[in-house]
This record gives sequence, structure tokens and C-alpha cells, in this order.
Amino acid sequence: MLEIVNLHAKIEDKEILKGLTLKIDKGEVHSIMGPNGSGKSTLASILAGKEDYEITEGDIIFNGESILEMSPEERAQEGVFLAFQYPIEIPGVSNSYFLREALNSIRKSKGKAPLKPVEFIKIAKEKIKDLKMNESLLNRSLNEGFSGGEKKRNEILQMSILDPMMAILDETDSGLDIDALQIVADGVNALKNDEKSFLVITHYQRLLNYIVPDYVHVLVAGRIVKSGDKSLALELESKGYSWLEG
Amino acid sequence: MGNFENNISLEFDRFNNNSADSWISSHRADTFGKFKSLGVPKLTDEDWRFTNLADFSSKSYSLNNKASDIFDKRLIPEILKDIDGHFIILVNGKLVEYSSDNFQVHDLSKMLQENECSFKNLIKGSFSDKNQDFSFFLNSAFLDRGCFIEIDSSINVEKPIVILNFFDSNAEMSLVNHRNIISISTSSSVKIIEYSFAVNDIDYFSNKSTFFYLNDNSKVEHLSIDDGSKNSNIFSNIKIMQGRDSNFTTDTILIGGKLFRNNVHPILNGEGSNSNVLGLYLSKDSQLMDNYMFVEHAKAHCDSRQLYKGLLNDYSKGVFHGRILVHNEAQKTDAKQTNRNLLLSNTAQVDTKPQLEIYADDVKCTHGATTGQIDKEALYYLRARGINEDLARIMMIRSFTEEVLEFISDDILLGLHKKVVERWFVESNLISGD
Repeated sequence: MLEIVNLHAKIEDKEILKGLTLKIDKGEVHSIMGPNGSGKSTLASILAGKEDYEITEGDIIFNGESILEMSPEERAQEGVFLAFQYPIEIPGVSNSYFLREALNSIRKSKGKAPLKPVEFIKIAKEKIKDLKMNESLLNRSLNEGFSGGEKKRNEILQMSILDPMMAILDETDSGLDIDALQIVADGVNALKNDEKSFLVITHYQRLLNYIVPDYVHVLVAGRIVKSGDKSLALELESKGYSWLEG
Repeated sequence: MGNFENNISLEFDRFNNNSADSWISSHRADTFGKFKSLGVPKLTDEDWRFTNLADFSSKSYSLNNKASDIFDKRLIPEILKDIDGHFIILVNGKLVEYSSDNFQVHDLSKMLQENECSFKNLIKGSFSDKNQDFSFFLNSAFLDRGCFIEIDSSINVEKPIVILNFFDSNAEMSLVNHRNIISISTSSSVKIIEYSFAVNDIDYFSNKSTFFYLNDNSKVEHLSIDDGSKNSNIFSNIKIMQGRDSNFTTDTILIGGKLFRNNVHPILNGEGSNSNVLGLYLSKDSQLMDNYMFVEHAKAHCDSRQLYKGLLNDYSKGVFHGRILVHNEAQKTDAKQTNRNLLLSNTAQVDTKPQLEIYADDVKCTHGATTGQIDKEALYYLRARGINEDLARIMMIRSFTEEVLEFISDDILLGLHKKVVERWFVESNLISGD
């Protein structure tokens, strides 16, 4: 589903990704771990289409098509979803208005009719219940007044409503307590099937006890230096990253 | 600048000589004298330093005196057609027709001819000279028309009163000067919509004042939509005298006019009163919208809230001057002022200036202003969820304009505010009109 080929990327003359290659097939859960500054969040941003980065070499192919020239909204419409590490607040735009417009924009790109507000609210309320969140969030402004944990759960709520083909989780577990972590993991696992893929970017091994990866990759200084199965994550937890750096 | 003053002096002499020696003619002469000692402001005048009146004062506007006694109802703007309210129609400032219910509507031009008019003081207003500008003195000097709405005590006017200020072709190159007065007695409440508009793109000088007298425990919600012709110069003075425990909310939306000077002056003159001064100035092309708020806390235990937001496109310019005066007996004042500006182009600009004068020692007074463009991070977030860039922009712009709605409770006023803003989005090509 996703093929990243020898990707080099820089921001303001600083090269961050230095030849990253990764292949994710349908139905697979991949995890990327790495020390701070290795380029994990940069990779996530680039996949989602953030325009601040310059791709100097390589390609990103999603479902057989290069997405390098696609805008963020086009990528989302193709089925890419990024759960942000630091979701921002947008006062004045309600959660429900925002999500309905997002869902309808994606539906429109696929030739489907938009959902009426009533239909949308019904779906939203179900998903909110599954994630043990409060219905009142629908009328509140996007992420406004949400705690860090609530914001992360809101990202997963959006993911479950928008139902992407490929979901990238950028350090979704950072700052969450065990209970919140369980809920987030349940939300992600409920979406898993043979057609969807997940790229879980994490700094801590703990999340991978809940969202079990098929493959684990280690990103150091802008390149993937080692790949393995879930046992690699445990190895990293006990040994750290220094044995892979340098 | 001398051109304007000479011209207007000639007009005044012709005008006031027609009226016999009366209370109003001496008031006019008195206030014209005050205008003359001030003159038309220059950029060196502190309260006008962001607003260049050179073009305006180079024109020779003659006093409007051509009669326009009829109003074709087909001219009522589409956006107001479905409103179930009491329409009061003024053409070039003159009351032409009205409908009323549990309140009285008087023709100001007739009242001014009565020597024993019992409303003299309300018509003249008792506002301290030192806080008035040239437009207000001129408005008094040339006062000969308008409407006076009188609401007795313990009356709730259920349907909104809709005041249409219409400028027809007879207003071209003229000074249209009028005053609308609304007097609300004890424990009464009313909603008022004011809609000012003109025929075609005529050039006129609209100098309007609106007086609100809120007696104790009364409540008013006011929505004023100013969609004049694009070549017009519009000066407006809204003055509100509030009694004890009164509640006043005014929401002004500035849309059409070449130059706007919007003065809003509530005086919290009774303990426990509350004033919400809201506004939206929507500017494009090379419009200039100058907003001068002056909230006066004269008594203790009063609250005021100012929330003015500017949406500026193209080469337009906005000004916000937020003055709060807390008199020394106004203890426990709670006053808040917020001005937010969203620049939609790199060439739009805004000047914002708070002015706090506090003479009491136990008060809460805050002010804040921001000016910026659409938040790029927020735009990216919306787009990353599949929303096209144009739609993402308009979602952010629309939500920016809706903050003032938190202070308005009437559904008709809320609905009209939103429709007017959407209409502006379409007219400004920010969204397609479908």
C-alpha cells in the first residue's frame, strides 16, 4: 500500500531524512521507533503533505501512485490519516462542524453524497461512545480546553469516523496514562482489518504491548538502520538506541 | 479644509433662517457654533489620526431638501423580506411610513416644529460637549428630521422593530442628516434592527445619530447593518443613556460605504447596568472603516463588554479606538474590551488603540487587541483531514465572525447577522454563491 523509496528531505537547508526506504502492505501494522531528532515526526508530516519540507530525492508511492505532488487534502481524500502528535486548537470551529465537513469532503471526492447533519451526528455519537468520550464535545470548539490526553483521543475519534486506508499515529501514546492508552489502543485495534494499514510512530515500547506491530523499524539520523519483528522493540527497551547509532 | 466649512456655513445660514425663533433654532445655532470652533478634524487630531478626511472635506454636499414621501416596498432588501417585524421607513432621513403595536412612533420633523414639545430634552440630548466630535455637532445643527419611538413602562415589544434608513436618488451629493430616538421606559424590552442602504452608487454624506434612553430595568438588543452605497461617506453617532439595572446590547455590521466613522457611546448611568458593544467591520477594495468606541462608566457596579472584529481585504483600512472612562464613583466596574482583526490580504491594514481612563480605585478593566492573518497551522490541520483549501479558509473566516453572536439572544437578530455576513462572503468572492 505504501512504499517510501530512498526519501531525502530537508527543511530550511537542514537535511532530516537521508535515504529512508520503507514498504507497508495492506493489513500490516508497522512501528517506527527512534531517538529524539531522528526524523520520526518529520516523516509523519511529510507523509501527510505538510508544505514546509522539501523533498530532494526519492518518492512516496501510495496505492501505486506517487503522492509527492498531492496537497494535504488530496492525500486525506485518497485515504491517508495522520493522528498529530500535538493537535492544535481551533476556537470557533466546532468539533462536529469540522468533522462533518471533513467526512463530506472525503465522500465528495469519492462521488458519494454528503451526509446530512442528523445522519452524521448519529454516527459520531456511536463512535464517541466507543471511545468513552463525552457527547458534549461535539458542540465545543475543536480541541479547545481539551487536556493532552483528550486531544489524543479526539484524534482517534476522528480516525474512526473518517475511516482511512492508512493511518499514521505520531507519538499518540506520549503523555497518556494507562487507562487512556487502553482506550486509544482499543480504538485503533477496532479498525484493523486486512485492507487497512497502520504506521505507529512511538518513542516508548509500552504502546506496542497494546497495538501489536507486525514489523518494527528503527530510525536513526534520517534513515532506517534496523528492522525486525515486535521483539526488536523489547530489545530497544532494554538496550536503548546507542548500539545502533554511529 | 476651508472649502467644506465655507460651504456648510452657507448651507446652515440658509437652513436655520427658515425657522422662526424657537428652542430648536437656538439649539441649532448653538451647536453650529461648536462645530465651527472644532472644524473638520485633521490627521493631527488625536481621535482622527488614522483617518484622512481630505477627500471627504473637498466635496460640496448641499443640504438634502428634495421631498421623498413614498417608499416602494419592492425596494426592501431580500434579506429582510421574511422578517415578521414592525417596519419604520425613513427616506433620506424623513419618516415616510411605519407600523406600530404597543409603542408609539412620532415624526421628529413635526415634533421639532412644536414650541411646547415635552420631549425637548430627550431630542437635544444632554451629553457633555467635550466628548463630542464635529459630526455630532453638525448633526444637532442641521437637525430637522428622523423618528422618535416611545415605549411605555412594563411593555415587551415582541416582534422586532425594523428601521429602514433608505437613501434614494434625491440624496445624491447631499448631506442627509437625521436622528432616530428610542426611549424605553422602566422594565420594558425591545429588539431593534436598523438597516441603512441606498440606491445605486450615489455619493452622499450621511450624518446620522441614534439616541437610546434605557430607563431602569429595561432591555434592548440592537442590530445595525450599514450597507450604504460604495461612494458614500457615512458618519454615525450611537449614544446610549442607561439607567439602573438596564441591559443594552448593540451589534453593528459595517459593509457598504467609502468612508465610515462609527461612534458608539454608551453611558452606564445607573448601578447594575450592563452594556455589550459588538461590531463587525467587513472591508474590501479601498474602504476605510473607523470605529470609535467610548464606554463611560458613570455609576458603580456596572459591567461592559466591547467585542469588535475586523475582516479586511484588498487595500482596505480599519481603525479601532476603544476608550473606556471610569468615573471616580464607578467602583466595582467590570469592563472588558477586545479588538480582533483578520487581514485577508497583504495590503489591508488596521490601526488599533485602546484608551483607558480610570478614576475609581476598585475596578476590573482589561483590554486586548490582535491583528493577523489566517492561522496557517489551523488551515493545514483542516486540509490534512480532507477539507479543500478554499473551504478551510472560509470555515476559519466564518468562525471568526461568529464570536460576537455569543452575546445576542434573539433568534431573528442572530439569523440576520449570519445571513448578512454570508452575503458579504459571496459578494467578496470568498465563496461561490450557491
